[in-house]
Amino acid sequence: MDLLDRYLQAVKKHLPWQRQDDIIAELKANLEAQLEDKEAALGHPLTAAEAEDWLKQLGHPIQVAARYQPQRSMIGPALFPFYLYVLKVAFLWATVIWTIVAVVQIAAQTPSELTVLAAVLRVPGMLMTTAAWVTLIFAIIEFVAARCPGKFPMLAPPAAHWTPGDLPPLGQQLSGGRKPRSFAHALTEVIFGFLFLVWWLLVPRHPYLLIGPGVLYWHASPFQLAPFSVLFYWWVVGVNVVQLAWRSADLIRGSWPRPRTAQTIVVSAIGLIPLGLLLSVPDHAYVLLRNPALDQARYSAALTSINLSIQWSAVILCAISVLELLWGIGRLSLDRYRKYAAAMR
Amino acid sequence: MTIKENIFENLRLELRRGCLTLAVLAQLRQEHYGYTLRKALAERGLEIDESTLYPLLRRLEAQGLLSSEWREEDKRNKRFYRLSGDGEGIFVQLLKEWRAINASIDNIL
Repeated sequence: MDLLDRYLQAVKKHLPWQRQDDIIAELKANLEAQLEDKEAALGHPLTAAEAEDWLKQLGHPIQVAARYQPQRSMIGPALFPFYLYVLKVAFLWATVIWTIVAVVQIAAQTPSELTVLAAVLRVPGMLMTTAAWVTLIFAIIEFVAARCPGKFPMLAPPAAHWTPGDLPPLGQQLSGGRKPRSFAHALTEVIFGFLFLVWWLLVPRHPYLLIGPGVLYWHASPFQLAPFSVLFYWWVVGVNVVQLAWRSADLIRGSWPRPRTAQTIVVSAIGLIPLGLLLSVPDHAYVLLRNPALDQARYSAALTSINLSIQWSAVILCAISVLELLWGIGRLSLDRYRKYAAAMR
Repeated sequence: MTIKENIFENLRLELRRGCLTLAVLAQLRQEHYGYTLRKALAERGLEIDESTLYPLLRRLEAQGLLSSEWREEDKRNKRFYRLSGDGEGIFVQLLKEWRAINASIDNIL
């Protein structure tokens, strides 16, 4: 039967070459015997339509050939959960490292919309490269472990050599009766931290991102920022980079549900530095006149009023930060005391 | 196929997979070639696709559970399979396991 031969030829094309003749000979003998039975039952040779229906029932040649191949997977089910975990960790680390490098690069150039956009557009490529490397490494581990089982115990999936004693203690996660932070919450903090940093880096070049249409009045006004503002600006970048890196590290290590008291204290303390800078500006001259000789008489009162309002804003912000710092220290001390009291009982 | 039907079909296939191997090993205590084995299983109520059965025979043979030989019958060369020595041992173990599972399920039901 011509159609059966054509079917077998199509199957053969997708079989491993070492075994294809043997498999096809066997399949042919089986199918011919089946065909004979079918024709005997019908009482006539199969019509073209009947033959097509029968072969269609057997399955697509590629599918039939695939069933003769050993089950293959680039990363097997035993290794796959660890692959996914490592991939997530690698993505987070790559993003953190990339963010730090991108911030440094942007800082080295003049921050502009284009440099930030270019840095953001490089993210998918960086993530794909990371995924490709992780996948390649796991595929090699799977290949070696499948070919030489037991020869490389260090390549066995971690499930084979874990000990329950290594699990993190339960008490740390719920210390002080506080609700642990969810993964979604922790991830949102990282994403918004990153977006804030991007926004802040764009502000010098595009001040309308900070003050909106007020930028037109600012450019037309006789005022300008004092030189200290550059230092203040980079301190804010620094504080946010530290906070973002810390939060990302929490995500990577899986420690996001734990209380962040120590982290809050450190970040609040670092955050006080730019506020301290703001308060230590001589004569609280945050804003200056572009042409003092011309405008001093006319805008002197307005200038004093602006600088005073900035000073008071800085004082209030500083007070809030100090309170936050004291609150954090208090909570940390309370946690320590509770642990100490529990240990003494 | 609805999602529910799809879920059922996947679970059914999963349930059948191990049973098919057991049935094939049991039936090959007598010698058969692919097509007559399929007919013999169907006569006993176990329908099995050609594209599932024939590759399964190859896999079981590669694992050493079946032995095979090419022989002419009815003027056609056919590959005949039967349970090997190793296969018999594994078959007895599998049968015991299957009976234990059946008994447990019966108890649960």
